[in-house]
Amino acid sequence: MHNIDILQETNFIDKLVEKLELDGPFSSWELFKMAYDAELTTITKDFNGLRALEFLPQMEFLPHQIETAKQAIEEMNGRAILADEVGLGKTIEAGLILKEYMIRGLVKKVLIIVPASLVNQWVKELNEKFFIPAAAHRKNYAWDQYDIIVTSIDTAKRSPHREAILDINYDFILIDEAHKLKNHKTKNYAFVRALKKKYCLLLTATPVQNQLIEIFNLVSILKPGHLGSYESFLEQYGRDRKKINQDVYLKQLVQKVMVRNTRKDTDLNNAKRHIDTVWIDFTPEELQAYNELDHMVQPFSTFSKITFLRELCSSREACFLSLQKFASEENQHNQEYLQPILDKIGQLPHHAKAKKVVELIQNIGEEKVIIFTEYRASQFYLQWYLQQHGISSVPFRGGFKPGKKDWMKQLFKDKAQVLIATEAGGEGINLQFCNHMINYDLPWNPMRLEQRIGRIHRYGQEKDVHIHNFAIRGTLEEHIMKLLYEKIALFEQVIGHLDDILAELNINSFESEVKSIMNESSSTGEVKIKLDNLASIIHSTHQNTEQEENQYGNP
Amino acid sequence: MAIHNLNRFLQSYFTAHHCHVANQNGVLKIQLTEEMDRALMNRPFYWHYVKKMGKNGDPMQLTLITNQDNTEEKGERIHFGSPRLQQIVNHLKENEQFTKLFEVVHAVRNTALQPWLVTNIKLSYIGKRNKDEIFSLGLNLVNGQMKTDMMDFLNAKDLQMQISDYCYTITPIIKPHSGFRRILTVIDQYIQDQDHQWAAESIEELKQEVDLLKHFYQGDRDEDVEQMEKELQDIKERYQPKIQFSVVNGGIFYLTGN
Repeated sequence: MHNIDILQETNFIDKLVEKLELDGPFSSWELFKMAYDAELTTITKDFNGLRALEFLPQMEFLPHQIETAKQAIEEMNGRAILADEVGLGKTIEAGLILKEYMIRGLVKKVLIIVPASLVNQWVKELNEKFFIPAAAHRKNYAWDQYDIIVTSIDTAKRSPHREAILDINYDFILIDEAHKLKNHKTKNYAFVRALKKKYCLLLTATPVQNQLIEIFNLVSILKPGHLGSYESFLEQYGRDRKKINQDVYLKQLVQKVMVRNTRKDTDLNNAKRHIDTVWIDFTPEELQAYNELDHMVQPFSTFSKITFLRELCSSREACFLSLQKFASEENQHNQEYLQPILDKIGQLPHHAKAKKVVELIQNIGEEKVIIFTEYRASQFYLQWYLQQHGISSVPFRGGFKPGKKDWMKQLFKDKAQVLIATEAGGEGINLQFCNHMINYDLPWNPMRLEQRIGRIHRYGQEKDVHIHNFAIRGTLEEHIMKLLYEKIALFEQVIGHLDDILAELNINSFESEVKSIMNESSSTGEVKIKLDNLASIIHSTHQNTEQEENQYGNP
Repeated sequence: MAIHNLNRFLQSYFTAHHCHVANQNGVLKIQLTEEMDRALMNRPFYWHYVKKMGKNGDPMQLTLITNQDNTEEKGERIHFGSPRLQQIVNHLKENEQFTKLFEVVHAVRNTALQPWLVTNIKLSYIGKRNKDEIFSLGLNLVNGQMKTDMMDFLNAKDLQMQISDYCYTITPIIKPHSGFRRILTVIDQYIQDQDHQWAAESIEELKQEVDLLKHFYQGDRDEDVEQMEKELQDIKERYQPKIQFSVVNGGIFYLTGN
C-alpha cells in the first residue's frame, strides 16, 4: 500500500457501552435513520462528479460549465481563478461550485464581493437558479447574522464593516471582476488578502493583462506565500509577460489555479452572430457642418475637436451641448468665434443615423432591439425621436440605481420594444431575450464592442443574434470602421485575445492609442496610415499569441 | 437512502421532535418546542433570561418553504445545502449517534430476540481528490454472523424503543468491544484489498507541488525560509493521502432469528 495514513475513531464503542450501562438516552428508529440518510446526502460519493447536479434538475448546464466546476473542486481544491471569456457563464460556474460545497456541508459562511451594480443580479441568480439563500448587504445589518451575503468592495472595506468582516472565518469567498485586484499596493488588494477564507474563487475575463506580476498578485490571494516573496519573484521574472510560456514552473502553476474557456472551445456557437455594417450618408447640410468643424484650427486642441466630431456623428444634440459648454467656459472671444457653427448645428435637420434607426427597426418588425450609444444627449434624442415614430423605448444608464435598472430591464422585457443604453449602462446586464443590437456609435476599443455583444450573445440565447454597426461615410467613423473593425476581422478571432495582444505590445489602452493617433496626425491621410500600421501589428501579434493561448489555461 | 423529498424529510424531523407542523403546498409552518427552539433558533440569552424569571418562555414559529416556485409566501426558503438544512443535518448527526431498538413482534408465545451490533461507518479517502464511502455493518453478538447493507435490511422491519410483549432478549456471547474489533478487522481488510490508485496520484501531486514551491523560493533570503517551511507543511498536509474512519451512528438491535 502507498504509505497511507489511517486515522481511526475508536471512542464510539466506549460511548455506546457507557450508554447501554446507563440505559440511554437513545435515539428513536426514525431519527436514527434520518441521521444516516442525512449522511448519505452530504457525502462525496466519488472522486469525480458533482452532487449538485442531482439536486438542481431544472438547470441546464453547458458541458464546459460542469467541467469547470469539477476542475475547480477536484483539481484545485476550491481555490481557483475562473477566467472564461465574457458571456460563457462564469456566474453559473461559480454558483454551481458554491452549491456543491454547500450540499457537501463544507460551506456555510459565504461572502460574495461584486461590483455595486451587479449585487442585485447576483442575489437573484443565486436564489432563483441555485436556491442558495443569498442576500444583499443592507445598512444596519450585522455581518455575522446572515450566512450568505453579497456586497460591493467599497462597502465591505469601509469601517465599521471592514473590521466586522475581517473578524469572521469565511468558508467561501468569491470576488467578481478580480482583475481590479491586480495591483498589490491598493487598499482593495490589502483588504482581500486579509480575509480569512477556506475556499476562494476569483472571477475575471482578463487575468493577465499587462504584466506577469499581476498573476503573482492574483495567485497570492489564493495561495499566500506560494510564489515566494514579491521581490524575489520580480527579480526572477521581471515584468516580461512572455516568460509565462518559457518557464515551465510558472506555466504549471497557472494551470493549477486557473480555468479558462474561450468561445472557440465551447458549444456556445449554436446561436450564430450576424454582423453587418450599415453605411450612412450625411445629408448635405450635415456634411457641410461636419467639414466646417473639421477645418477649424482654433480655439481648441485637435483632441477636443475629435470629440466634437465624434459627437456630431452621433447627434446634433450631443455636439451642440458640449460645444456650447466649451464656448461658455472659455473666454468671451470663443463664444463669438463659435457662435456661427453653433447656429449651424442648431438648425440641422433630423440626424441621418436616427432616421436609419427608425427604418431598420421598422424592418425588424416586432422583435426586441437594444441600441448602444456613447452619449447621453443622443440617448435622450433617440428616445424622443423613436416615440415620434410610434416606437416604444426605455433608457438605461450606468448612473441608475440597481432597483431602477431591474425595473427598466423588466419594462424592456414586457412592454417596450427598444432599450437605449449608454456604455456604462451596458455592464453586466443580461438580455438573452433580445437578439438585435444596433451599435449606434462604435466604441474605439473593440474589446468594448465585444462586451456589448456579450450582453445578448451569451449563455441562454436561443436565436441567432444580429449586430448592426452604424458608421457615417466620409467621417472619422469611416476610418474606425474600415481599419479597426473590418480590416482586422476583429469580430471573428482577435477579440478574445486583444487584451493579451495589447499587453504584448505594451499598449495600455487601445482607446488612448487611437486617440493619440488622431491627435498627433495633421491630416486624414496620416491618420489612415497610422491606423493601418496599428492594424497590421495587431494582426501579426495575434498569430503568435494564439499559439501561446493554447499553452496556458486549460490543459 | 439519501434524502430526495425534502418536504417529507422536514415533516418527519419536526414531528419526531414533537413539533406541530402544518404542511401545505410546499410550505411548512412549524410550532417549535422549547427544545427545538434552543437547538435551532440561536437565542441563548432569551432562554437564559426567561428561565431566570421563572417563566416558561415562548418557542418561536418557523416557516420553511420547500416549493421553490412559491414566491408569494413569506418565510425561509430551504433547499439542499442551505444553512438551515445544514443546521438540521448537524443537529441530527450530533444527537442521533446511539440507539437500542427492538423488533416489533406480535407474539402469543415466548419469542427470543437476538442482539446485533449495528454500525454505520464512513470511510473518507483524503488526498488530491476526495471520496467518502458508507458501510452499514451488522454483527450478530450470539453467533458472529455478519451482514452488510444492514440499514436496508432493518428498513424492512418495524422497530421500536420498547420490547414487545412475550419477547425476551438473549444475552450476547460476544461483548460489544470485541464485536467492534471484528468489524474493524473487516474494514481493515477491505482497505488493504484496494489498489489505491488515488493515493499514488496524490503522492505524485505532492512531489510536483513541492518541486514547484522550491522553484519559487530558490535563492531566497533567510526570512523567506520560514515561510517556505510553512508552505511545505501545508502542501504535505493536503496531499499526504489519508483514510479517515469514523462511525456515523450505531447501536444494539434486538431482532427475531429469521
